[in-house]
This record gives sequence, C-alpha cells and structure tokens, in this order.
Amino acid sequence: MLQDILVTGLVNGGVYALLAIGFSLIFGVARIVNIAHTAFYMLAAYCFYALLTQVGLGFALSAVLSIAAITALSLLCYRLVIEPVREHESAVLIATIALGLIFQELMLRAYGGSYLGVPSTIDGTMRLFGVSIAYQRLLILGVAALMLLATWFFLYRTRTGLAIRATANDLEVANLMGMNVHRVAMVTVAVSVGLAAIAGVVVTPVTPVHPQMWLEPLVTMLAIVVLGGIGSLKGSLIGALIIAYVEAITVFALPAGAYLKGAVALLIMVFVLLARPEGLFGVAFEEER
Amino acid sequence: MIRRIGIAAALSLVSALAWAQGTIKIAILGPMAFVQGENHWAGAELARDEINKAGGVNVGGKKMQIELIRADTNELQSVPDATNAMERVITRDKADFVVGGFRSEAVLAMQEVAMDYKKIFLGAGAADAKLGENVEKDYNRYKYWFRLTPTKSPDLFKTLLAVLNSVAGQIRASAKREDLKVALVAEKAAWTEALVKGLQATLPKMKMEVVGTWQPSPLATDVTAELAAIERAQADLVFTTLSGPVGITLARQMGERGMKAVAFGINVEGQKDDFWKASAGKANYISTLDTYADIEITPKTHAFMQAFRARYGKAPTYNAATYDAVVLLKDMIEQEKTLDADKLVAAIEKGTHVGTGAVATYDKRHDLVWEIGKTAGIATQWQDGKKVAFWPPNIKGVQPFKLPK
Amino acid sequence: MYLLRRVWAELKNEVLVLPSRVLVLVWVLGVLALPLVYADPYVLRILTMTCIFAIFAASWDLLAGYTGQVNFGHALFFGAGAYGSALLSLKLELSPWATIWAGAVLATLAGLLVGYICLRLRGSYLSLATLAFPLIALGLLFAFPDFSGGELGVTGLKRLATGAVGNYYLAALSMLVIVFALWLLADSKFGIVLHAIRDDEVAARASGINTPRYKVAVFAVSGAAAGFSGALFAHYLRVAGPSTLETALSFQVVIWGIFGGVATIYGAVAAVFLLYPLTEWLGSFKAFGELRLLIFAVIVLIVLLFMPRGLAPWVRDKIEAQCPRCKQRNAAWKKTCRLCGVRLKTQIAGAESLVGHQ
Repeated sequence: MLQDILVTGLVNGGVYALLAIGFSLIFGVARIVNIAHTAFYMLAAYCFYALLTQVGLGFALSAVLSIAAITALSLLCYRLVIEPVREHESAVLIATIALGLIFQELMLRAYGGSYLGVPSTIDGTMRLFGVSIAYQRLLILGVAALMLLATWFFLYRTRTGLAIRATANDLEVANLMGMNVHRVAMVTVAVSVGLAAIAGVVVTPVTPVHPQMWLEPLVTMLAIVVLGGIGSLKGSLIGALIIAYVEAITVFALPAGAYLKGAVALLIMVFVLLARPEGLFGVAFEEER
Repeated sequence: MIRRIGIAAALSLVSALAWAQGTIKIAILGPMAFVQGENHWAGAELARDEINKAGGVNVGGKKMQIELIRADTNELQSVPDATNAMERVITRDKADFVVGGFRSEAVLAMQEVAMDYKKIFLGAGAADAKLGENVEKDYNRYKYWFRLTPTKSPDLFKTLLAVLNSVAGQIRASAKREDLKVALVAEKAAWTEALVKGLQATLPKMKMEVVGTWQPSPLATDVTAELAAIERAQADLVFTTLSGPVGITLARQMGERGMKAVAFGINVEGQKDDFWKASAGKANYISTLDTYADIEITPKTHAFMQAFRARYGKAPTYNAATYDAVVLLKDMIEQEKTLDADKLVAAIEKGTHVGTGAVATYDKRHDLVWEIGKTAGIATQWQDGKKVAFWPPNIKGVQPFKLPK
Repeated sequence: MYLLRRVWAELKNEVLVLPSRVLVLVWVLGVLALPLVYADPYVLRILTMTCIFAIFAASWDLLAGYTGQVNFGHALFFGAGAYGSALLSLKLELSPWATIWAGAVLATLAGLLVGYICLRLRGSYLSLATLAFPLIALGLLFAFPDFSGGELGVTGLKRLATGAVGNYYLAALSMLVIVFALWLLADSKFGIVLHAIRDDEVAARASGINTPRYKVAVFAVSGAAAGFSGALFAHYLRVAGPSTLETALSFQVVIWGIFGGVATIYGAVAAVFLLYPLTEWLGSFKAFGELRLLIFAVIVLIVLLFMPRGLAPWVRDKIEAQCPRCKQRNAAWKKTCRLCGVRLKTQIAGAESLVGHQ
C-alpha cells in the first residue's frame, strides 16, 4: 500500500504541479487570478482529441499543434478581453470566469456532454516494487518533470526569465528599468497557458474528456497555489505534491471515503493557512495602489 | 358564386379551428444539451412522427395530432432552471402532459410544480424512491406522477441478485472454487447506499466474501488506488454500482491493468454506445444492467431499435422510454376517449402496457411492478467492441457471459 | 394630512432631486405593483427567484464590496440557510415561518466561523480559501447521507405561502426590507468604517478601529442575509439540495456583484434583476435555449469591456454629476449644484471627464 501511495501521489502531483505553476506565474507577474486557466487545459484536451481521432494526425503532431493553438488562443484572449480591463481587478476576475464558461459552453455545443476517451500514447503497464503503473502515467510524470525543469531553466537562466521575475517582484521599478512590462506579461501568459496546455494534452488519455472537466482541477489547483504561496514556484511544486499525497492517502486509507479526497485536501489547505496566512512559501506583499 | 365562396370560407374556418384545436400538447423536459435530454427528445419525436403519420390520436371520434414542446431543464447545472421550465411549459405553452426528467433532486422539485397544476407527469430517468413514496403518502395530490423508467432503486437490488445468480456458476467454474471474493465499488451517492448495505448483508450468504467496499466520487478520474487494493485482495468479481464517468475510468483502468476479475453490476456509462471509444477500447468484459438491446425484450423492441438507429445513428439509452410515454398517452386517450387527467390516471393504473423495453404494470406508488422478463430489464456485456445481452437467459438473441482470460 | 404633506416634502427634497433615487422609487413601485398588473404564474415565479437571488447578491456585495473580502464561497451561507431551515422544519416538524429564522441563524454562525478563520488572510488568499468552505460542507453532507439526504437533499418541505402571488409578495417584501436595511447599514458610520478597512486596513487600525471585529461582524451580517435567502429558496422550491452549495452558485453571485458594481448594494440587486430574467428568457427559446449560459457569459464579457466598474456606477455617471465644490450629487442636466449653487459644467473645454466621478 505504501508503494501505491508513493507512486500515485507522485504522478498526480506532477500534473497538479504543471497546472499550479502556470497559475502561480500569471498571478505573480500580472496579478491576474485566471479562473480560466484550467479551461485552457480543457480546450487543449479537446484539441488533442480532435486532432488525434478526427483528423488523424499522429500523437506528436497533435500534441504540438494543440499546445501551439491553445497558447495562441490565450494570447488572443489576453489581448481582447483582459488587457482592456487590466486596471480593474474585479473586472478581470469575472472576465476570466466568463471566459471559462464560454469555453465550456462552446465545447458542449461542439462535442456534446458525453465523455470522450483518447487512446494512450504508450500502452501497457509495468510493475515497479509490486505496484502496477501504466506507461502512460510514467510518461505524464516524465513530461511534467521535464517541463518543470524547462520552466526553472527559463526563469532562472535566461534574460526573459529574469525580466519576468523582476516584473513579479516590483512592476513599477521594472518598468522604470526599461523592461517592456507589456511584453513580459504576454510572454508570461504564453508560458503559463502553455504549461496548462501541455498538462491537458498529456493527461487526456487517462481522463474522460468532457466540457466540465476544468472545474475539478480548478479547485484543486487553487488549493495548491494558496497552500504553497501565490507567486512562489517552489511553493506550487511542493503544494502540488502535498495535495496529491493527501488525496492518495485518503483514498488508500479510507476506501469508503474516496469521495472525500477533495474535501480533505481543502481542509489541509485551510489548516495551513491558519498557521501561515501567506501559504508555505508565499511572500506577503503589500497591496499595490 | 357567393354561396360557394361562403361555403369555402366556412369550411376553411371550421377546418382551421379544428386544426387549431386539434393538437395534444406533450412537453418533453430534460437536459437537452446532454445525452439524457437528447434521448428524451429522440424517443418522443420518433413516437410523435409515427402516430401523426398514422393519422393522429382518436379522441372519442375527433382526430388530434400530437404536438411536442421541447423544454431544456438544464437540471444538471441548475435545479431552479428545471422548475422554471416546468412552470413555463404548463402556464405559457399550455402543455397537456409532461414527460421526462433525469436528475432526481430536480425531478422532486419539478414533481411539486406539476402536481400543483394537476398535470400527468411521466418520469423517464430519475430513480429515487421518494418520487413514488409521495404518491403513496398523499395520493390525491401526487397521483398524476408515473415512473416509466427506470425501476426504483430498491428494485435494482433484486435484479442484480438475479443476474448474479445466473453468472455465479460460470465464475465459480473458472476460479475452480466455491467461495468467491467480491470487491464492491459503489460510487458515493444516495442511490447506492441501500444497495451497498444490502449486498454486504446478502453476498456472504451466497458464499461470496466481500473483501472490501470502495466508494469513489461519481466524477472520479482515477481509480488506480482502488484497483490496486482490489488486486491485492485477489477479488474474483468487481461488483460495481456506478452511474457517473467513474464507470468509464474504472473500465479503462481495469482493462489497462489486465485484471483477471470481471466487472459486473450497474455501470450506466457502460450502457451507452460510445462507451467503447470513451474507454479507448479497453472496456472488454464490462457488464451492466441495461434497458435496450437488439433482442426481443418485448414484441415492440426490435422495430423500435431499428427505427431509432436508422434515424439517429446510435442505440437508445433508457431515457428514450419517452417513446413509450407518448404511445401510452395515445393508447389511454383513445381507450378512455378523453383528455381528462383523472380518468387517464385511473386507466394507466389498471392496465398492462406493452412498451419497447418493458411490459409495465404499476403499483400503488405508481412505480413499475418488478418482474423478471417484464420490467426488470436486461443485462449486457461488452465483448470485443460490441455490447451483447446475456440475461434474462430465456429471451431470443441473448449470448453467453464471457470471462477475462 | 400633515403626515401626507410631510411625506410629499421628503419625497420632493430627498428622492425626486436625484435621477438615481427616482429610478429606485419607480423600481420599488414596480416590484410591488407587478402582480396587480400581470399575474402570469410563470413570470411571478421568475421574479420570485429574482428577489431571492437579489438578497443573496446584496449580501455578497456588503461583504466583498465594502470590506474587500471577496468571498468565492458565498454559497456556503446560502446552503447553510437552506439546509438549516429544511432539516429543522422536516425533522422537528416546525412551521417554516419559524425555521427560516433558524436557517438564517445557522448561516450567521457559519459566517462568524468563516470570518474568524479568514481574519489573517488577505486578498487573493482569502478569496481562494473561502472557495474551500462550501466544498468541505458538501463533503460533510455526503458523509452523512441518512441525515442530509446525500446528493438528493431534503425534500418535501412545506411552502411558506400558498399561491404564486403570495410567494411573490413574500420574496419581494423580504427583499425590499433586507436590501434597504443592508444599504442603510452600508451608508452609515458602520459603512464608512468598512470602506476604511478596504482601502487601507493598517491606517484604519492605526486610527483605533478594531478591524477584526468589524470584519467578522460583516461576515456574520452577510451570512445572515444570505442564509435567509437560502431558506426562502428551499421552501419555495420545496427541496434543499447540494445544488445550494455549488461552486457555480458562488461564481454566479460574484458575477452578479461585480457586474452590478461593487460597493453599491443596489448595483448587485440591479444586476440580478437584469441578468436573471434575461438568462431565463433566453433559455425559453426553443432554437437557442441551450446556449443560454454561453450568451450570458458573452453578454457579461462585452458589457464589462464597456463598463469595467460595473453597471450601476456607469449608469449613475451618465445621469448624475458630482459638484466640484461640495461633492454632492446632482442630476446631470442641471446647470448649478442644488445645494451650493456652484456651476456644474466646467468652463475649461475637455475637462468634463474630471467632473462627475466618485
């Protein structure tokens, strides 16, 4: 049972981390609470499904095209919808909620409410320490780890990454230092939604795809980001692992309580917030004028 | 000349009046954006077209056409939307009869509205027993409700045991043991509570040990934890009571793991045509209770299945029993020669009604009287991409149950 | 006779001077007089629901708009009121007239609890934490299905009033009383303190205001109002189910509140009165009824682009102007301030946009 928990927690944690880091990034840099973040993840899943099963492209091509398409779409949405109301935080909030709803309804119209499945990229399972793991899940874990490393590299070893971190730290000073804050925000949006799209593509084979699939990960992702500290990447990663393990333990330890795993994860989040109001690694920033 | 014009005018006026008065309005309520509502509408549409083409309904000598009112209740997302829709079709669209419903919480609220207006409400989707209990508690208010499908949740238990008895021998032979190990996987929902308790009490008496009870959320997207534990417990049979997408996840992950245990029970997603694709072809040997298959459950089944498939390209789900609802109304109206709700209620209570999936009689709760071969439904199993019926064994067209190799 | 003259004087001096107040008066009269003019049960049903949700939205605005504690889990209070009233009325066989108050009390307690827990949280942390509470409550309800009815909820509740008109007036009068009370509260010294807390809590504390007490108090008041609306909802539909705690409902009230304009109370009410019947009307079309949510979201998005601060402030700015000297509001078409006589229109061309903002 311990091995099951370890492996399940790790794999799920990887997916959650992909989502949480993207969300955290956008919030840290652009101060946007992007409720539609997991909606992009849902769109990427549908796009991948469509390209794979209806158009008939191979896995790699479908994946790359889906990710590119959704990232481009996010930039478009940012330009059209978010930017005009940037100064009004509350307006941005409901703009992203409305966006998420629009995506959901569009997919409902296009594909109906039924659950769609995509064949696995790699079939078959392997046994590791007596635990049966599907190759697909190992792939998810591998991709997640790779993307997290890539993100870390991008943020900490490139100039654009430096600009992003500077903007996240202090928007006004970064602007004064000559960074094009506008462009930095766009790049952040692209990277963030790109990560969500990758998560969507890689997770599609193991999850039934349907228009409301963005709501459950949304709550989990918000819990993770809050738990780890909004704006902290390390926090998002660790938070993702914590939540994933809490869920795995709930399911394994209480078989009759498996449905409670969401509620238990949220409860943990509340407790952590009581102890540390900024989350585990969050930075308590002052309100900006 | 003037006389001819006068007669023509009078005739056209009369026929226009007759035509205007000549429709029976039946409202079809369901979550139209989802598969349940689609089937609600499809079944009713099929019935309406067949009846109207044959001349309509004979109401004591007057021929009336059936007019369907399509109302989206959006009940999966909002219960007040459903009650608003019910009120709208009754007061605005002047529906004579209402048919449909799916989500039990919403149907309970919709039932209140329909009973307020004393409109016959034929249920085609919600299984909660409370809907029938209301009829028993307050007959005069709730008598206008009848549940056409499915059988109420407690009766599902009887059906499950009957099917289990018929396949238990096969499983015992394959396992080369008398004692079987059963893992219960029941989604956490009100309708499974009683089933789980009943199974936990009854299975040991059938020489089947319940090695564990797992209760994932109906929307769970990952059951590896449950399946790993089930494998560890060396279960022979995975007894499922699932209605949500967790059924797809379970089927797929069982197939991917190549589990030796066979999944049996209730898996509502497994009743749908696109289940095989949704589980990426991994759902072999998954079996479930079901309502429609291409076998002769009743004399009407085959014709209905063919017509449905020809028109809509896929097999019906149990919600398409709205077909039976519309036909039932037509038959009762013609028999009683009236549209009066009270007389029709009495007529439905008394008779035996041959539908497309069941031969129905109603008890004092206006629920279906349970009887194998008549109203208990069938059981189907997915074998190599096709859904085959394997129970009740005496119906023409059933095939044997298969076990994983 | 004196009373009538007094009322007329008040009306002329306080209400009729400002277009926004005239609108409110017309709306109140309209709400009260509707069943006399148009007693269609379907329309009454829609408006009864609108009134119930208007109370809900106004309670959210008090919390989120005035103190800045944007609550993403407001449905918790709605559900607490609904379930509280439903369970008491069913298990103890009490009259709903008594249990709706009990439901409101339960919601108030929930408000106190949530408020206390969220005291140390700020901004987005608070918002996202509040998202968790209704879901935890749902988990608890599902864990005890024999008590709570599981995913079916509590059914078979008694109605408060009989007939469509009776229920409508009950909802409408409750709404008018509660919304007006909330508005009075927000417009009083209590409300000024709330504004201060929202704008700069540190400064407020430095001025000697016991901010935690106010923050928790607002949670309690907001919870009470929302719980009351939840109880009304349960007894109107005769079913109290888990749909009263859904995240979608929490998001819906956030949309209503922000769409109408935060920190206005009447903005949230206006948003509900506009959007809820509109969505329902859209849903009644056979052709595109299933697109109602899509159309709703698109409308919200488009309107937001034009009125980023919300509907009520935008409308108010169009019909009213602020006097540059005494800062009191006047009808926009007036030339001079009604109180201090100063010219309302600026003499410098292009500076109009400087006049008239709050």
